[in-house]
Amino acid sequence: MNAILKINGQEKTFEGGLPETLAVLLDNLHIDQATVVAEIDGRIIERKDFFRTVLAQGQAIELIRFVGGG
Amino acid sequence: MKPLIIAGKEFVSRLFIGTGKFASIQLMARTIEASGSQMVTVALRRVDIENENDNMLAAIDRTRYQLLPNTSGARDADEAVRLSRLARAASGINWVKLEVTPDPYYLLPDGEETLKAATTLVKEGFVVLPYISADPVLAKKLQDAGCATVMPLASPIGSNQGMKTKASIEIIIEQAAVPVVVDAGLGAPSHAAEAMEMGADAVLVNTAIATAANPVEMARAFKMAVEAGRIAFETGLAPKYKTASASSPLTGFLRNEP
Repeated sequence: MNAILKINGQEKTFEGGLPETLAVLLDNLHIDQATVVAEIDGRIIERKDFFRTVLAQGQAIELIRFVGGG
Repeated sequence: MKPLIIAGKEFVSRLFIGTGKFASIQLMARTIEASGSQMVTVALRRVDIENENDNMLAAIDRTRYQLLPNTSGARDADEAVRLSRLARAASGINWVKLEVTPDPYYLLPDGEETLKAATTLVKEGFVVLPYISADPVLAKKLQDAGCATVMPLASPIGSNQGMKTKASIEIIIEQAAVPVVVDAGLGAPSHAAEAMEMGADAVLVNTAIATAANPVEMARAFKMAVEAGRIAFETGLAPKYKTASASSPLTGFLRNEP
């Protein structure tokens, strides 16, 4: 079975298996941990917990950041 | 000028500035500096996982500026509460510009959903600054729900139409016990001055500055207009009369009266 996560609404397949933690996923995607906030299946994950948040097959992950706005 | 106090925090500047629509982060940073503002709004959006993402927050010195995350994009109370919680997790800041705008054409706020979200957020310890239609009854309800300000719109977001809701904002200002921030639609420094002369406690401007030919200079113009309007309000404007009242003496004319 392929390792799949739904990231920001899009399914992403990981050929080499699921990234072990949220922190590893962000590294793989070249995203600076300090600039994002994450939600897994609707639950907010604090930044300090990224390194110990273990990922599971099929989870819906939202990666969110600040942008310009009024 | 008296300082503005919101939720116990003192602001010298009464111009709040939005960070949307700037051509670059560098230009945004220079414009914020020129505006003299101490309150800066930001939005939350999904990371683009395929491309490089700018870190705009790095360009905003948080020791100098109160960051005010907004809930733009929220179409109901639940979405606004979710965005507020995410903003707090992302920034550690519990201030939020609450906006619930289900209609993308006019972006007018949904008062009922805004009140519902505000009630939840105040309970969770947020400092809530709600963006609302210029509705004095709703403004009072939000104030009673524990909101730190009310932010009635002058005209639709980004429309640059100015103070179309002036008469209703006057009533909100008269009745409010919390600061009144005129938000949205202020297209020219004169519009901002008009709001401040009426007794608005602050104004929030984004589009008119960010999309000007020279945002840095336009920020400076708005800064001066806000200060001018505020000083005029604190001083008290001279009354209006229907007929003329000569400024020069009405005696000693160079003619012989019959």
